[in-house]
Amino acid sequence: MELAKNLQKTLNKSYGKTDLYVDLAESITGIILVGFLWMHMLFVGTIYINNGALFNALSEGLDKYYLAQIGIPATVLVILLHIFMAGRRAPMRLRDLRIAWRLSKMINHYDTWVWVGQVITALLIGIFASMHLWTIMTTWPIEAVKSAHRVAEPGVAFWGGFSIPYYLIFYAIFLLVGEYHAGFGLYRILVKWGWFERHKMGWVLKGITVIIICIGVGALYMFTQVAKMYPHAGGAL
Amino acid sequence: MARQLTFSIFRYNPNKPGDKPRMQEYSFEEFEGLTMFVALNKIREEMDPTLMFDFVCRAAICGSCAMMINGRPRLACKTMTINLPSRITVMPLPVFKLIGDLSVDTGTWFRNLQVKTESWIHTNKKFDPNALEVRMENKIAEQIYEPERCVECGCCVATCVTANIREDFIGATGINRVSRFMMDPRDERSDAEYYEVVGNEDGAFGCVGLMACADLCPMEIPLQTQLAYARRKMAAAGLKLQFAGVKIS
Amino acid sequence: MSAKHTHISDVLVVGAGLAAERSAIEAAEQGLSVIILSLIPPRRSHSTAAQGGMQASLGNVAMGLGDNPRIHLEDTIKGSDWGCDQEVAKAFCDTVPIMIRQLDAWGVPWNRVTAGKKKYASGVETEDLKEKEGLITARDFGGVAKWRCCYTADGTGHTVMFVVDTVVCKMGITVHDRMEAISLIHDGETCLGVVARDLRTGDLNVYLAKSTVIGTGGAGRIYAASTNAVICEGTGGAICLNTGLVPLGNMEAVQFHPTGMPPVWILMTEGARGDGGYLLDKNMHRFMPDYEPKKKELASRDVVSRRMIQHIRAGYGIQSKYAPQHLWLDIRHLGRKWVWNNLREISNIAMNFNGLDPAKDLVPVLPTQHYTMGGIRTNKNGFAYGLKGLFAIGEAACWDLHGFNRLGGNSLAETVTAGFLVGKEVAKYTLGATQKFDYKLVEGFVKQEEERINNLISGRNGKENAYEIKEAMGQAMMDHVHIFRTGPALQEGVTKLQELYRRSLKIGLRSSGQGANPELAQALRMPGMIRMALCVAYGALMRTESSGSHSREDFPKRDDVNWLKRTLAYWKPGADLPTLDYEPVATPHMPPGDRGYGEATAGPKAAK
Repeated sequence: MELAKNLQKTLNKSYGKTDLYVDLAESITGIILVGFLWMHMLFVGTIYINNGALFNALSEGLDKYYLAQIGIPATVLVILLHIFMAGRRAPMRLRDLRIAWRLSKMINHYDTWVWVGQVITALLIGIFASMHLWTIMTTWPIEAVKSAHRVAEPGVAFWGGFSIPYYLIFYAIFLLVGEYHAGFGLYRILVKWGWFERHKMGWVLKGITVIIICIGVGALYMFTQVAKMYPHAGGAL
Repeated sequence: MARQLTFSIFRYNPNKPGDKPRMQEYSFEEFEGLTMFVALNKIREEMDPTLMFDFVCRAAICGSCAMMINGRPRLACKTMTINLPSRITVMPLPVFKLIGDLSVDTGTWFRNLQVKTESWIHTNKKFDPNALEVRMENKIAEQIYEPERCVECGCCVATCVTANIREDFIGATGINRVSRFMMDPRDERSDAEYYEVVGNEDGAFGCVGLMACADLCPMEIPLQTQLAYARRKMAAAGLKLQFAGVKIS
Repeated sequence: MSAKHTHISDVLVVGAGLAAERSAIEAAEQGLSVIILSLIPPRRSHSTAAQGGMQASLGNVAMGLGDNPRIHLEDTIKGSDWGCDQEVAKAFCDTVPIMIRQLDAWGVPWNRVTAGKKKYASGVETEDLKEKEGLITARDFGGVAKWRCCYTADGTGHTVMFVVDTVVCKMGITVHDRMEAISLIHDGETCLGVVARDLRTGDLNVYLAKSTVIGTGGAGRIYAASTNAVICEGTGGAICLNTGLVPLGNMEAVQFHPTGMPPVWILMTEGARGDGGYLLDKNMHRFMPDYEPKKKELASRDVVSRRMIQHIRAGYGIQSKYAPQHLWLDIRHLGRKWVWNNLREISNIAMNFNGLDPAKDLVPVLPTQHYTMGGIRTNKNGFAYGLKGLFAIGEAACWDLHGFNRLGGNSLAETVTAGFLVGKEVAKYTLGATQKFDYKLVEGFVKQEEERINNLISGRNGKENAYEIKEAMGQAMMDHVHIFRTGPALQEGVTKLQELYRRSLKIGLRSSGQGANPELAQALRMPGMIRMALCVAYGALMRTESSGSHSREDFPKRDDVNWLKRTLAYWKPGADLPTLDYEPVATPHMPPGDRGYGEATAGPKAAK
């Protein structure tokens, strides 16, 4: 207990190491999820290649080597952990929400607005990711044509004959929301740990995010093309 | 032609029975070199002698006159009206206790901070009046001077979402202050001791990274660097202590 | 309304700048209970505005090798134009190196010596020794034989103030900020404490102590244009003067700093010239060498200020939007890196207030009221004249380290050194003192202040406007009691101030005066401020010689035969002019002689 003797008397409440672990966990889960998301988008992007042949091969690979069976629950776990850790940082009580909102409006500061966006996208991701996961799990395995038909789903027709392709809209929004949260989330983590100059790093991350979003948008377009090519759902490649 | 300026100023005197918070407007014609220091004094001396605000050095050295000018925390003394629109809204800093109108009690807040973070040199060496000073590299002295430049105006605290919603958070100024001592070879505190002070959510791990503090610091102290330095240092200390099997209270 | 709270302590320190806090530390170290009163949080004190540094003969930097307290003493005496108390100056010069090192141990990040050859922008080439590397370095300053101004960039006052305050925090010394002492409580012999007004609530409080230390800083704000903070209204001196028993010493000795920046009159540190900056006129001519071939821009402040005005009068001033007449400070040749590392505060100030970047732009400058050499007269141990248990310290005091002109870097050094030396004496006195007070007497003082306040609120005595009177006072001082003085002008100034003084007794508030009312605070200070101003003006009128910063055009020479003496100004009850008395100035260490710079040496030469 030699060291404990040296510890100064402080008026601080003592926290032990919990706060450190929580902070590390938030950053680490964040980085893992950004990695996951970017990888995921690259995988989805393989739809470009050979009209989805590589896409299917990857999907089969994930299945065959049990990567999906382990990976999906693990990712879900990391997401839950991240929600739990990062959520504590967000204003939770109504009173705090109001203060945060008013302050953001008053100081009108770029990074603070970006963070407000992060809080909002976090909520949306919580909802969207559950829906996405549900869709994937109930239609397992992942196949290019199956996915393509889902994206190209014409949707419910309104009375004017006008229809809303809800899956396409869902994926488009999910893409934007997810990448926003990932890009700025990573920015925030790096700002906090201070390894890079913040403004340059911001531009690099914005660049990466735009590229990923382009891949995503392109992939959505490719899916609609694949769906046209194979008009019968479940049709072999 | 000179602009007509309108100052919309927050008014409330907690010591006056029945007084209610309100915004009050004053206007006059702008003139060359007009600062918020000159403007507020003009209002007090010529229009409304009850208006409360704080100025001391009027040279952006003492940190007394921080207030929210058009939503941003600024040192009023160095804020030129020429850089503002003709309608200027002035509010007291949030977080700090209101004394009256634009005057807030930063003194008590910062005093508590110094005591809470034990912001002074901790050493067991006894000062020997006959000895030479302990040598130090000039570079280190310059590095210490950088965070030491903080004037404790409270702008970083006022713009920090975390400080606004969590009373115990010591803000960028507090973390910067402690990191100044971490950089100082004369302070003999161990990592474990610093960890005890700022290795928690009220200190280094509490920052969410919104950087309004760094962007709006009137002294342009590199707060992101200081905050990240403290966070890394505290994380390393915490992990090292963990592996060394040391329990922190 | 009566006193809200009564606080009793061993030592009461009024003011929380460097001198005040340093003395509080010394007293607290002896186990005494100390309460510090301050208008503002301590770290906002005007001490933080000191930029250039602190003189101490450490002799570490190459250009300071061989320095010692004796040379420092000689510089100080010459600087003071033999007006200072040489015993005080000696004690000061001997102690200040220890103070610097103690501040270092407490955490001041003094800039250090780096070994090797260097060429300064001023043209000086030196080589710093390997054996001195890492020791505290120093820069050149006005009126010195050796480089001995220790510094932390140009924020020396800031770092020293913050560090001293960390020690106050560490020791847990009680500080009551936003608390203004408005009158001294005494029984005619002993000072018992003060009546103070709480600037948060407007309540009156009583503070009683065995010893009362006044460390409230200067009175620069009696001038309309001053480099001083707006709180430097001489409140400590005024409440002592008001007793009628305590005299102010040498109030006519007012320092004008050569480089105040118009139109805001914020200080551009002497370090700018110490580091090699020039003064230029409208022809971009560096004129100081014409007047002062030896010291150039680095003669003492009184000399440089006079030379600047002389040059402007000769028609070489610049007319610009900054001021009707001014000169330029040029530090462009020092280079951006030097300016950034060593003169950053003034760069920020020039940028903030005039949009100028000193690394590439000229900065307008004009001599500006800067320092009050005079103050509450004390003996060499800091005991105020006239009342037992009363001490004064720092700029508020006339301990008399500075005589008729203070050397740059000596005031910041004085604060901590006097804090230490006088603090020890305070502790010694307090340990041997007993505390007794007649509460009737105390209540009498409270009643008196209540009555003043009630009269101001009700307007019973008149409806004069406090702010108007303050402005008129500031202008009168600018017009009649400035750098160059003449009998008729001073007489006119005295007459104007007397008139203002009578009006100040008839101030009535325009507001309700409720709570922490700022108008009331100003109104309460006004009569005292004008009394201080009258001490300056009347003392200057009566002193028929020129010495240091007191420059009479009708008496241009120093007169050691008749005037080697110190003015003591008393304010007798009911008077509208101070009563002047004089005491001799002893010169045990250095007889009056030639300063080596200034008009007496270099002659009243006109510009080329």
